[in-house]
Parts: sequence; structure tokens; C-alpha cells
Amino acid sequence: MRRGQADLHALAGAYALDAVPEADRARFERHLARCEACVQEIRGLREATARLGASAAVRPRAELKEQALRAIARTRQLPPLSRDAPPGQRGWRARPAGGRALSRLRQRPWLPWLATALAAGFLAIAVAMGVLVAGARHRLDLDQVRGHAIAAVLNASDVTMLTAPVRTGGTATVLESRHEHSLVFTASGLRVLPPSRNYELWLMGPAGTRPAGMLPRPRAGMIGPMVVSGLAAGDRIGMTVEPAGGAPRPASDAVLILGLGS
Amino acid sequence: MKDVGVTDSQGLPRRGPADDAGADADVAGLLGQVARGDQLAFEEVYDRMAGPVLGMVRGVLRDLPQSEEVMQEVLLELWRTASRFDASKGSALSWVLTLAHRRAVDRVRSEQKSAERELRAASARIDYDDVTETVEATMDRERVRRCLRSLTDLQRESVTLAYYGSYTYSEVAGLLGVAVGTVKTRMRDGLIRLRDCLGVE
Repeated sequence: MRRGQADLHALAGAYALDAVPEADRARFERHLARCEACVQEIRGLREATARLGASAAVRPRAELKEQALRAIARTRQLPPLSRDAPPGQRGWRARPAGGRALSRLRQRPWLPWLATALAAGFLAIAVAMGVLVAGARHRLDLDQVRGHAIAAVLNASDVTMLTAPVRTGGTATVLESRHEHSLVFTASGLRVLPPSRNYELWLMGPAGTRPAGMLPRPRAGMIGPMVVSGLAAGDRIGMTVEPAGGAPRPASDAVLILGLGS
Repeated sequence: MKDVGVTDSQGLPRRGPADDAGADADVAGLLGQVARGDQLAFEEVYDRMAGPVLGMVRGVLRDLPQSEEVMQEVLLELWRTASRFDASKGSALSWVLTLAHRRAVDRVRSEQKSAERELRAASARIDYDDVTETVEATMDRERVRRCLRSLTDLQRESVTLAYYGSYTYSEVAGLLGVAVGTVKTRMRDGLIRLRDCLGVE
């Protein structure tokens, strides 16, 4: 075994303890991809660390369980990684009745499919970003940052999908995570505007009305995905038509106002 | 070495390795049901996993309200990602606690200022025992303690400083005043000894 490999192999313990700093971790994980024996060893070591952790068990306060049960009732589940069921019949099915997001989904049976496809696309981007970042951290550019921001929302435990028609035509879809204080905005079928005008997004709430960015020009009829961060409690998202350069505050009536989740 | 009786200090029946394996198979099965959206199965998983998760996370974060928050996030994550659990890649307990430990450690590393981390260095070794004093007696605490005692001091300190102190291996080396390579090796052979002593695979 080459010296470098022996050094890497010695990291198995630290890795199982989550004690490998990020820079080394990427290198070690590339090693793992080629070393089935290491993967097996780490599984065994993880069983040991799990027992170490579980041995400190304490009884949680009873009211936390009620909170958790309310939270899962609002949270969609990830589909399995296998492809033996059509997307859209698995991942989104588990949302319980009564949720606002669900009633919207029901009106548009194709949306779960769309969202799953979008999510899969974003995840593919995020995974690709991850690989790129692992390979060359210094080459982190804006696209990568955006990919991470999208992935953060999609991977958030509380991600919720909302959709609404735009008054002047088209549909807006929002994937929102309160936890990440961010949302991912996409739209399709929007009325085409003259070059001097563009759609602008706003966050509107108790914290005031803040510009949330100009929409990029549509590609193949789709706009976005676009990340809006800095969500505050009680915010809604709005869209107006403004001069192409943007406006500091809305100067026209909203073509879309979408109340965000709780 | 402490006497190992058939009941623990709170008088609850002690679980042997076979019971643990059975209980874990139960959780693995329950996770399958959770993946299909079964909320009752989730309640069962919650009842079995919340205690170990909270205890471990509190060992890492020390702060109870923050630990409760992380525990809730982890349990919600289980609900969300139950379909990704793969029993062929390890036990349910290992899957859940690995997820929880990463979250706890990420939180410490992102929030803890370096000055505070230094302060925690002093307390990490003392607090591990405090943590284990407060356990709920459903897990094989005594066995783990006994096995930890079978490690050399350097192995045990390397493992617990990393696991409960959320230090990286090079930080642990600094804290213990030994070479980085030594700490890496002690973490690995310490965990191997712990694994073999606990009889887990």
C-alpha cells in the first residue's frame, strides 16, 4: 500500500466520528468510492459510535412529540431512490389532507410530476456542484453558489410547494423553506413583455416591502429557478411589471401575490 | 470492573445483544412503514429514537433547548427521508444517530466561535460522565461504559473528544498534545475495540 493510501485509511475512525475537516473529507470520500473494504469498516465503526451515542439517552419532554406529529403532517416525504414507481405517485402522496398546499396540488395533478422533475433536475445540478466544489473549491462561482442555495431549499426538512396563476397569464411555482429563510421561484407561460419592461419580485410583510429581484428572461418558456433569500415571518411574495432595470418599490399593481407558508 | 446484573440501576430489565438486534429490526421495519406515509409507525419510531437522539445531541451541544430543536429536526428528517433507509447498509440505530450526530456537529462548528471551543476543551472530558449519569435506562448504557473502560486512555479520550466534543482529529491532537497521526490511529483502533467489545458488526 502506498504511503498516501495508508494515511487515508487511517482516517476511517475519525470519519466515523465526524472528526474529519471538510477539506480532507472530500478527499477521503473519493477514496471511499474506490475502497469497498473501507466502506465496510466504517459501517462497523458507525455501529459502535451509534451505541456510544445511544447510551446517553434521555427522556424528551412529552409535548415535543405532539409538535413533531404536527410537523410531519405538514411535511412531504422524499420518494425512494428506486425507479420502480412513476414519479409523483410516491413522493407527494404522503401529504395529509387539509393542507393548503395539497388542495392546490389536487387541482393540478400534473404539478407533482413537474415538481418532482424539477427537484430531480435541481438535485442533479446540486450533486454536480458538489462534485465540482469537492474537486476545486477555489473555482466556486456564482452559479455554484446558486446551485447550493437551491439545493439547501430543496433539501430543507420543511420545504413546501405552492403554486398560483399569474393575473396576466402563466403560472408561478414556489418551493419554500422557512428554515432556510429562502424560496425557489419558477414560472411558466408568463405573458411576454416588451424589452423595456420586466417582471420584478417583492417580499411583502410586517418587515416592509423589499425588492426580491428581477426575473431572468424566459428560456424555453420557463423562468428560473431563481432563489429569493431573506424571508421574514409573515412575508408574502408578489410580482409586478416594472421598467426593465427594476424599481425600488412597486409602481404597478401586483400580477401575483402568494401567501407563504405558516 | 463493575458488576453486571440482570437489571439496571432503575430496575428495568436489561437488554441483551439479541434484544437490541430485535429492537433494531423493529425500527428498521417501522421505517419502511414510515416511508409509505404511516404516521402511527412514525409515532413508534419517535418513541424509540427521540431519547437516544436527544441524549447524544445534548452530549454534543450541552444546551437543552438547542438540543431539543436539533432532535426535532432529526426526527422530521427521518419522516422525510425514511425511504432512503437501507437496512443492508447498517442498523436503523446507526442510520439515525449518524444523521443526528452530523447535524449536531455541524451546528457546533458553524455556530461556535473559536474562543468558546477552547473553553469547551476543558469541560469535554468532565462532562461525558455527567451525560451518562442522566441516561434513560432503555439502552445498554452499562455495556458501553464497560467497553469504553476497556480502551486505553488515549483511545478513549480521542474517541469521546471527537464524538461529544465535536473536535476534528487535528484539534483533538492539539488538545491532547500528541501527534496528529497518533490521534487518527487511536480513533480508529479505539473504535475497532469498542465495536468488538459491544459485539456489533
